[in-house]
Amino acid sequence: MTVPLRLIPRNLFASPLVALRSLLTLASLVVAVFLLCILRSVVANLDAGVQASSGRRLVVQSAVSLFVDLPLSYQAKIESVPGVAETTVFQWFGGYYQERSNFFAQFAIDHEPFLSMYPEVSLVQGSAEDWLRGRTACLIGVDLARRFGWQVGDTIPITGGIFPRAGDAPWEFRVAAIYRSSSANVDNHTLFFHFDYLRESLESGEARGPRGAGTYVVQLAPGADPIAVAREIDALFAGGPQRVQTSSEAEFQRQFVSMVGSVPTFLGSIGGGVLFAIVLAVLNTMLMAARERTVDLGILKALGFTDATVFALLLLESLLLAGVGGVLGVGLALLCEPVFGAVLGPMFGGFSIPRSTLLLGLGLAVGVGLAAGLLPAWRASRLRCVEALRAEA
Amino acid sequence: MALVPFSYSLRSLAVRRSATVLTVASIGATVAVLAGVLALQQGFSTLFREAGRDDLLVLLRPGAGSEGESFFPRDRAAVLKKSFPEFAQDEAGPLVAGELYLGVRLRKHPALGGGETNVPIRGVERRSFELTGAGLRVLDGGRRFRWGHDEVIVGRKLVSRIAGCAVGRRIRLNTTEFEVVGVFDVEGPYASEIWGDFERLREALQRNGYSRLVGRLAPGADLRALREKLSGHKQIQAKLLTEREYLTSQTAALSGALLFLGTFLGLVMGAAAVFTGTNTMLAALAARTHEIGILLSLGFRPGAIFFAFLLESLLLGLLGGVVGCLLVLPLHGVETGTTNFATFTEVAFAFRVSPTVLGVAALFAVGLGLLGGLLPAWSAASKLPTEALRRR
Repeated sequence: MTVPLRLIPRNLFASPLVALRSLLTLASLVVAVFLLCILRSVVANLDAGVQASSGRRLVVQSAVSLFVDLPLSYQAKIESVPGVAETTVFQWFGGYYQERSNFFAQFAIDHEPFLSMYPEVSLVQGSAEDWLRGRTACLIGVDLARRFGWQVGDTIPITGGIFPRAGDAPWEFRVAAIYRSSSANVDNHTLFFHFDYLRESLESGEARGPRGAGTYVVQLAPGADPIAVAREIDALFAGGPQRVQTSSEAEFQRQFVSMVGSVPTFLGSIGGGVLFAIVLAVLNTMLMAARERTVDLGILKALGFTDATVFALLLLESLLLAGVGGVLGVGLALLCEPVFGAVLGPMFGGFSIPRSTLLLGLGLAVGVGLAAGLLPAWRASRLRCVEALRAEA
Repeated sequence: MALVPFSYSLRSLAVRRSATVLTVASIGATVAVLAGVLALQQGFSTLFREAGRDDLLVLLRPGAGSEGESFFPRDRAAVLKKSFPEFAQDEAGPLVAGELYLGVRLRKHPALGGGETNVPIRGVERRSFELTGAGLRVLDGGRRFRWGHDEVIVGRKLVSRIAGCAVGRRIRLNTTEFEVVGVFDVEGPYASEIWGDFERLREALQRNGYSRLVGRLAPGADLRALREKLSGHKQIQAKLLTEREYLTSQTAALSGALLFLGTFLGLVMGAAAVFTGTNTMLAALAARTHEIGILLSLGFRPGAIFFAFLLESLLLGLLGGVVGCLLVLPLHGVETGTTNFATFTEVAFAFRVSPTVLGVAALFAVGLGLLGGLLPAWSAASKLPTEALRRR
């Protein structure tokens, strides 16, 4: 059996009106697939940090509040706990570049252990020696570097929100290296700098602000039991002055997802409902269009096309329309990925569309194509030529 | 020009029932989503904006965007409280109070699935009840906390959202346990907070100063002059805002995010609704070519036919708008909560399906109907009577 493939585009664009309807159906599908990709990705990205977390790192934070610092004296005590290999401070800096709206995260960290504790972070430009040596050195993520056009060797002025410098002058950090993280738990949109620089500036009075550490990140020694180590650290400070809460990196990340609350579920259900409505409407118009072609099909059959050929022709037509819609929808979503990355990235630590979501989008399109194609195709293959020719459009 | 009777448009919709229902549903869903997100945004921003008082002054550390980032050492605050005649006075001294603010880690109510969230806690001074807490009322069955005791009162909106927020329960803050002795209600976002004695909370939380100062502007005092005085002052550096300005600034980030979300969803879904609307109208048109021929041969002008079809589409949009609005109306007053990005603490607020929201939704729906109808109407009006009448 040979299917006259040439007929497919001719049918889809039989007249200006039919062509318009085909294009509108296509456009609706593109929108549906696009929406599916974007909404699913937003939800998936919220969770990506949790999923990608390392099981060998623990985070020690205040049990009282996310906004309370732990005393610096805690670090040595935590390091004395058996099973703890290395630790680093993570202090939220809360500054901004030029405008408050230029939001991105900055952390003061212990520069030496940081690189060995985070093997997922690799330097793509600049050198580790430069990072270790310079007092004002900083590491910036590739996305951040691209956003502001920063390069290795540049000096970045950051106004301290929580840690103002004397005279409200901005802090100045020199870019020692640009990093790329291969894992979603560290985003590519952060600036890291030496905690020693912050501490010394506070001690010398060059800057003002709380003197402590927001969190300590603990690298477990090989073979150490995370739960036992966490319990032991918590017990160290149970009597004060600040109680701590030690959790796995995944748990730590999850609290931020939990803060966003029910918004993802809310979005998901909205998206699902609307997607359903769009798909139904697309299906309906495709079925209506097929019904009007009874006479055409009668002619094909009168010319000698077999039932199977007519079946294949109609099914392929529907699949082609849906398939093109799916590909365009996925393409549009990919095209918009950087735009969403720029808008949502600084807040949510990056935005990327998972491969599985792209496949789902294509699957949805093909599913619509099948559903809208099978019934008319089956009906057409059963059609008796004489009746079809007599039918009125 | 004789218009095609209105009943023709109405009947046409009734005849092709399934297509009408589908189009109305897709427009309705789109409108409902837009209106839902807008109602969320309205509820959130009016809660803050409308509660703001213009004669209540808020002082923050310069550069701080919210009280969570702000800090005043006690000695500096003591000077500040006394030095400015612009603050109202009475027998007991200037109407100024220092407040401690911290988002503390508490568990959500089990009914909300547990999980941790950040709840704002406010350590207040006696004068706070004439300032921030003016109008605060403790609900029956509770009382205010006693000064100098480890007691707190909790905002009404926390009771159903946060675990342990009921009279008689205890909340552990660091190493000290505080007893909940009352539930209070007050205007604005404060009803999502826990309040206690500044001195007791400061000690328990290991803080050594205030987060912000609040004061009442003396009648007739010049706000702008005070603002200049404060920013130029050597020892005391402070940023001065009215409470309304302060609360409004706290809504910018989340409000912006919600507006972005609403616009994005509205546009994308709106596009889809216009496409499907046009498409179903076009499909209906194909089946009605004969009818149009009859209308034309009866003497109706193409313009009249254009209007009849446009009207039909507008009716579809209007119906969709009504459905969408009906879908979101039950949301009005439903309490929800989310984290306010400005302070990273949870705030509870209610959806507000305000007339503005409904108006925007209705306009949007009619716009969708109009856009979806233009092309089919034009195509209907441009048919020739003889061709339209001819049967294939």
